[in-house]
Amino acid sequence: MADPIALALREQFHSAEQQRETSTVGMWIFLITEVMLFGGLFTAFSVYRMSHPAAFDQGSADMEFWMGAVNTAVLICSSFCMAMAVHSAEKGKNGRLAFFLILTILIGLVFLGIKFTEYYLHYHDQKLPGIVFHDTSPDAAYVQMFFVFYFLMTGLHAFHMIIGEGILGAMLFRTLLGSFSERYHTPVELAGLYWHFVDTVWVFLFAIFYIPGAHMK
Amino acid sequence: MSQSTVSVKTYAFTLIGLLALTLLTSLLALVDLGNFSFIAGVAIAAVKASLIACFFMHALYEMKLIRVIMAGGMIWFLIMISLTLGDYLTRGWMPYPGK
Amino acid sequence: MATVTLIEPQSAPAQPRLNYLTEKTGLMSWLFTTDHKRIGLLYVFSITFFFFFGGFFALLMRLHLLLPQGWLFGHETYNKLFTMHGIIMVWFFLIPSIPNTLGNFVLPMMIGAKDLAFPKLNLLSWYIFMLGGMTTLYALVRGGVDTGWTFYTPFSTSYSTSFVITAAVGILIAGFSSILTGLNFIATVHRMRAPGLTWFRLPIFIWSTYATSLILVLATPVLAITLAMIGIERIFQVGIFDPALGGDPVLFQHMFWFYSHPAVYIMVLPAMAVVSEIIPTFSRKPIFGYKAVAFSSMAIAILGFLVWGHHMFVAGESAYAAMTFSFLSYMVAIPSAIKVFNWTATMYRGSVQLDTPMLYAIGFVALFTIGGMTGLFLAALGIDVHVTDTYFVIAHFHYIMVGGTVMAFLGGVHYWWPKISGKMYPEFLAKLSALTVFLGFNLTFFPQFILGYMGMPRRYAAYPPEFQVLNVLSTAGASILGVGYVVPLIYLMWAWKYGESAPDNPWRTTGLEWKTPSPPPKHNFEETPVVTWKAYDFEAQKEELHLG
Repeated sequence: MADPIALALREQFHSAEQQRETSTVGMWIFLITEVMLFGGLFTAFSVYRMSHPAAFDQGSADMEFWMGAVNTAVLICSSFCMAMAVHSAEKGKNGRLAFFLILTILIGLVFLGIKFTEYYLHYHDQKLPGIVFHDTSPDAAYVQMFFVFYFLMTGLHAFHMIIGEGILGAMLFRTLLGSFSERYHTPVELAGLYWHFVDTVWVFLFAIFYIPGAHMK
Repeated sequence: MSQSTVSVKTYAFTLIGLLALTLLTSLLALVDLGNFSFIAGVAIAAVKASLIACFFMHALYEMKLIRVIMAGGMIWFLIMISLTLGDYLTRGWMPYPGK
Repeated sequence: MATVTLIEPQSAPAQPRLNYLTEKTGLMSWLFTTDHKRIGLLYVFSITFFFFFGGFFALLMRLHLLLPQGWLFGHETYNKLFTMHGIIMVWFFLIPSIPNTLGNFVLPMMIGAKDLAFPKLNLLSWYIFMLGGMTTLYALVRGGVDTGWTFYTPFSTSYSTSFVITAAVGILIAGFSSILTGLNFIATVHRMRAPGLTWFRLPIFIWSTYATSLILVLATPVLAITLAMIGIERIFQVGIFDPALGGDPVLFQHMFWFYSHPAVYIMVLPAMAVVSEIIPTFSRKPIFGYKAVAFSSMAIAILGFLVWGHHMFVAGESAYAAMTFSFLSYMVAIPSAIKVFNWTATMYRGSVQLDTPMLYAIGFVALFTIGGMTGLFLAALGIDVHVTDTYFVIAHFHYIMVGGTVMAFLGGVHYWWPKISGKMYPEFLAKLSALTVFLGFNLTFFPQFILGYMGMPRRYAAYPPEFQVLNVLSTAGASILGVGYVVPLIYLMWAWKYGESAPDNPWRTTGLEWKTPSPPPKHNFEETPVVTWKAYDFEAQKEELHLG
């Protein structure tokens, strides 16, 4: 058996440690670009929320609050499973790694399922700006804007989730091929970083979209 | 460096902490706190995010550079949002129309 | 003390030593290369193509403005010309110009690495760039865009009938290429330096390119999301920026300039990087105030993020925000001035040689100084109100971007040409065209300062007859400038084939990239160098460099 670490060491690096550290640094820088990407939307949202608080609260009251809360818990559980997957990889336990990856993927799918059910309910309530939007309140324009940001931001988040499911699928595939070991499992770690980051974004999305109007139901 | 530095126990406590905070924030949301409910929601979210970053993402256990990168990202986001909001907050402060 | 692990002279090689150009040949070896040097060259070809495309539009505009009422195009076409000129020049030439070509080529060599940290990502970045470029060109072929390169709302979202979304998608795609390059450079500088190469032994080129990469990584995502919001507003006609639907167009300007002002520093910091290499080399002196120059690069990158509001003084931002942004804009002058003073001090009492790269570098310092000083005029609230959206602004930023970045780019290309191609270029012709560029540039853009101050607005296809003399001067200058750009293209290509073979270190200078053969072997160094000296330490390497 060839040493997986020798196979995985790219020619530009001197050591496995340098390669691992460089990849981790690269992943974190990528996550910072994601912070700024979502950050632009958070900024725009904050400006409009500050200007039209009442309308935005009213929009928030139309959220499916409990679905959002449950989804938050669901995503946190998937993050936990991902952390356990990385932990298993570090210990070189490939069976457990595969198990936790599968669990993470499945819980991620549950999240997406709940999310798209919510989208369907909003569509049903005619709260889908640009396609079908109906609101009779005097602040309708701003309520619509709330929904524009809701769909933009949760949509971008869901898009990241879908990409993440793909990445985890690839990790599972490589685990089953036996590519990872106690000494080489950087891809799993990086996939984990991405997955946790996407989870973090959702934590904030839940806070800004679901919470402010929840008491108005 | 990251060779199993975080124990299963730590992960479990983090999970419990995150779920507890989710429950707390959901219950708080049901009370009418006015504008404070938005602020409280974001604050709790920030605590949850730091828990995820510190333990699940190993930020506490990684090399220093990683924490610098994290801090950099946060600071730049804050620059963007605070200078932009600063403009909107100070509009109309001067006693001239449109200033 | 200079000890360097030099490449052992091999005992009479039977055939010429293989280098990165000859190691593999054929189109596929280029299209699938992960060698940073080859990718650098791929970028050279691509951005040269875009440069002449964008320059052609500029020339057409100048020709049109020979007569006060204009004579070549209708007003709509003119709008599309300046828009496409701006979009192509900013995103497909200036931003990738120095980092992705020269940076890609020399950065790993300067730090003694075999390659960038993520070579495949580097190649991917080029493909993404080309995809973005082609998408934008497709928008052009379909009929172009008329919003100006700034895509201001609500015109871009509600009124323009041109191909806004296609162009925006092209730019968005190209943005991801910038992000990947920035990410790659940062990780490389942090983790791939040769043993002994500490931060304060790095050449200034690395510091400035590193600062540029920080901006690329932190600012570009905001542009991406802003353009995406424009696209969504345009497609679904929902309110984000459109005031008719409750949006605020000024918010678009905030977000756009949060990217686009730092983007100016993406363009000029690498130019400063190149000049900081050329000036010590041709003055035979270490750069004056190394730490000050290094930190001023970082200061420019950071302060560059705090000044975007100075583009919106007349757009309705609050007076307090305007005052803050005005003050912060003045602050940027400090690190910029530090650099100018230190370059000058480096030349002072040095043995200055006026080779071609040095001519470009001195030209850069002069033009950047004018561009920077007029920037202070624009940062002053009162003057800015007077000259907003006039040719004064046009002249100011062309002094920075063309007078600064393009001069430095050409200087850098000449400086590293022996290393890139292994051939020398014809020196006399090169000096002549450097002078042509300098004169042509000033003749083109200096009259525009006066025009702007007299009140000629930008982006108009016609102007009052009293402005004609200055406009004709500007057009004449543009023609000279055009010649100055075409001539190097021709003789550099000629030199690639027929030029004299270049020695490993033609300028007898200190950087690590000169301690490897010209052109370099595939992995740059046959043995990883160990660095024990500071950058630009001519004194310590006197013997080795044969300096009298």
